[in-house]
Amino acid sequence: MSIDLAGIGQNRLFLVLSSAERLKQNNISIIRSLTGQGHRVVVITSNHPSAVLKKLYAAEGIEMGRVSFIDTITKYAMGRVPEGQEDCRYISSPSNLTDLGIAITEVLNTLSGEKACLLFDSISTLLIYIPSTNISKFIHFITSKLRLVDASGIFLAVEKGLDPLLLTQLTTYVDGTIDMDMSPRAEDAKEVGSGA
Amino acid sequence: MNPGSLEREGGSGDRRTIGPPGPAQQIWILVLLGAICIGLEIGVHLFLRTAIGYTHIFYVLLVLAAIWYYQKALIVAAALVAATFLTSIIVGDFSWATLLRAAMFLVVTWIVARISEERDRAKEEIILQKKAIEEKHSALVGYLAEVALRMKNPVNLMRDNMAAIRLQLESEKPDLEAVKMELSVQITHADQIIANFRELNQAIVEERDEIPLAYRDFLTR
Repeated sequence: MSIDLAGIGQNRLFLVLSSAERLKQNNISIIRSLTGQGHRVVVITSNHPSAVLKKLYAAEGIEMGRVSFIDTITKYAMGRVPEGQEDCRYISSPSNLTDLGIAITEVLNTLSGEKACLLFDSISTLLIYIPSTNISKFIHFITSKLRLVDASGIFLAVEKGLDPLLLTQLTTYVDGTIDMDMSPRAEDAKEVGSGA
Repeated sequence: MNPGSLEREGGSGDRRTIGPPGPAQQIWILVLLGAICIGLEIGVHLFLRTAIGYTHIFYVLLVLAAIWYYQKALIVAAALVAATFLTSIIVGDFSWATLLRAAMFLVVTWIVARISEERDRAKEEIILQKKAIEEKHSALVGYLAEVALRMKNPVNLMRDNMAAIRLQLESEKPDLEAVKMELSVQITHADQIIANFRELNQAIVEERDEIPLAYRDFLTR
């Protein structure tokens, strides 16, 4: 599936809603679209280990040279970092927002001058580890940082997995909301809302 | 709309509400009634030499003052008693009836003031109780929303992740290392969800005194 993320080229921020069962598939589709447009993508993962995602992306024929990872879950779940993952930064826990913020800042600094895009997978999983109020503050921090460095950002979340208050807050931080399950084909991709 | 206020309907869409008078209006009403009472005392009692009938008007002033200003209305009652005594002495008709009339001014004012005070205190108490109930209800709604957000939906996500892991295992050449990692992540998610559940229950139990001790223990176990 190809997704119309034309706005990404204009340094835009999106909240992408997906059904739980298609979240992984939609993640792959977004990565394919972004790398196809020449973006350097930084995947912040809290739902799947980065090693698994790497294998998955490679199997889907995605150019891995354009993808790097900030993995918040592997070290926490496995208690160790797998070998041979040099292009990945590991955070001790998904709730360690300080380290995550530092890692994002550092990665964005290394990508200055390039078409960088942050893919956050996913807000719904992060909610297991962090209260909704903290998530909202953190996403506001990230979106502000992305705007400052002229980078793009995509925040994946499970549709119907966010309460109306959190959804409203997140919608105001981003430029648009895309419901993946309402856009089965690229040309049908429908922007269902827009924020700041 | 204030309780007890009167709503009148005019033409189409013309709805006006008449509520109780504000503090400034109350003062003006009392001043006007006070002036009428003093006028009656001078005109009827002092000049017409009649001591009956007109004092009924005084009760309007005293009752309104007692409703609005509670015990402070006794000052108005005392002033009217003084005026009545003064004119009675000047006219020369001071008697037991004058004393009875003066006593009634004070007693009626005191009774109305007490009832009014009690009624307003009860009203205030009801409003405070209602506010407290609304706050508790709002906290409960917030709790339920957070439960759904941090437990129900992540559990759905976990279920789908587990289904994906099963599909992976059913494939011809499953990547066992990847499956192991994925399972570890899902176990970590489950552990955290249980911790969240305990934490949220702890919060609600600490907030609610009406939950019996046995249930508190069960919820936080």
